[in-house]
Amino acid sequence: MANQTEAGPRKRKAVDGELGVDAVTIMETNQLPAEEEDAIDSNPNNNSVGAGASGTHEVFPEEYEWSCFRDAEIMQQQAAIREEAIKVPYVRDKEPLSALAAEFELGSSILKEKIRLLGEQYTALRRTRGDGNCFYRSFMFAYLEHILETQDISEVERINGNVEQCKLTLQSLGYTEFTYEDFFSIFKEQLESVLQGKETSISTEELLSRSRDQFVSDYVVMFFRFVTSGEIRKRAEFFEPFITGLTNTSVEQFCKSSVEPMGEECDHVHIIALSDALGVAIRVVYLDRSSCDNGPVAVNHHDFIPAASADGSTEPFVTLLYRPGHYDILYRR
Amino acid sequence: MTSSSAPPRKTLSKIACNRLQKELVEWQVNPPLGFKHKVTDNLQRWVIEVIGAEGTLYADETYQLQVDFPEHYPMEAPQVIFIPPAPLHPHIYSNGHICLDILYDSWSPAMTVSSVCISILSMLSSSTVKQRPEDNDRYVKNCKNGRSPKETRWWFHDDKI
Repeated sequence: MANQTEAGPRKRKAVDGELGVDAVTIMETNQLPAEEEDAIDSNPNNNSVGAGASGTHEVFPEEYEWSCFRDAEIMQQQAAIREEAIKVPYVRDKEPLSALAAEFELGSSILKEKIRLLGEQYTALRRTRGDGNCFYRSFMFAYLEHILETQDISEVERINGNVEQCKLTLQSLGYTEFTYEDFFSIFKEQLESVLQGKETSISTEELLSRSRDQFVSDYVVMFFRFVTSGEIRKRAEFFEPFITGLTNTSVEQFCKSSVEPMGEECDHVHIIALSDALGVAIRVVYLDRSSCDNGPVAVNHHDFIPAASADGSTEPFVTLLYRPGHYDILYRR
Repeated sequence: MTSSSAPPRKTLSKIACNRLQKELVEWQVNPPLGFKHKVTDNLQRWVIEVIGAEGTLYADETYQLQVDFPEHYPMEAPQVIFIPPAPLHPHIYSNGHICLDILYDSWSPAMTVSSVCISILSMLSSSTVKQRPEDNDRYVKNCKNGRSPKETRWWFHDDKI
């Protein structure tokens, strides 16, 4: 279907970006608000199964004028939301956890209690732009900031080994080298530069500004997407049941349509794959309105521990806060 | 050169230029079956000849694809259209615009010109009827001002063709 306005999904993802600004509203309407759903009935992602999906127009002639009018409106709306989203950097400044409490002042009592509990373990958060890449951008910053602060050279050597392994994986899966090499080298450049004492070394401020730079940030996000996709395909048998349960598509189709394109959101499957491939443990803390029927409110979290380091001793140093549809970075006490 | 829509005119970034040079070399060594790149000195616009596959509705028919690369290729998708006359196909408009998700929202930098070509040929090959999209006239009329297909809000509902 060809409607004369700008591409659809960007908008849906920009809406997700509203989370930080107006989390209460979004939390209340966990799924997309009804009118929004209506406005995006032409969203390719709702119908598309990835490579090969194609289609035509289905507006009846008598509805056409109206549909054009509506499209023009949608286009304006989309542009406004996009502009709003662009004002928010990919990675924002660190904020005390009290900022989160203030945001939920009028929210449900369960959420307020959970935020109070979060405060016992965490001191600060750093928000990221909600454009469908927030998981990867959060992970990028949290990981590199950790290396910058700890100067853990053995960890850098370890991850470099895994990165090389990921390259081999992509090669053996038949990816042409030029499709991924630039993304790998941009990531390795960032990793190299957070280690101090070299001409290329960078400070936390510079890391932040690079993480806000579209080129660097997008290339690193894409590096993670390649790594994630490679891991899922390499262990297709392991991931298949998760994927068919989630989307009813083949592993390959899933990678093509839900992992490799920019802006496609990150689910459990992606996190497992990325964590395993890079050998980095990730803690995801869930902030939602779920609660146990009996017993006090507790904040749930899940640790993604890489399959290779199954000795259980790995305490994740990357901690992300998940709210339905969005990831931010959390800082421990 | 014929053009039915305004191509992106910003010159290629250095990284885009390097990537395209590698794609071109790879294409020359290992061209996708059924396609021929028409050599020009313009790296930013490729014209590619497509030959309909044997045993399909488009057997032995020849068409031309025009591929324009944006400044930030491959982060951004190339613009791919048929130079009219475009094949008669339910998802190809008479102005050459193609309704195929990988050219728009499902584009990924993991794709290449070659893989896009293969997807287009597969879309042609699986067609069971030679006809224009239902909204062809309306759409083409609305593109008269030189609108790029990348500015269209596409709806991909058909995963069979």
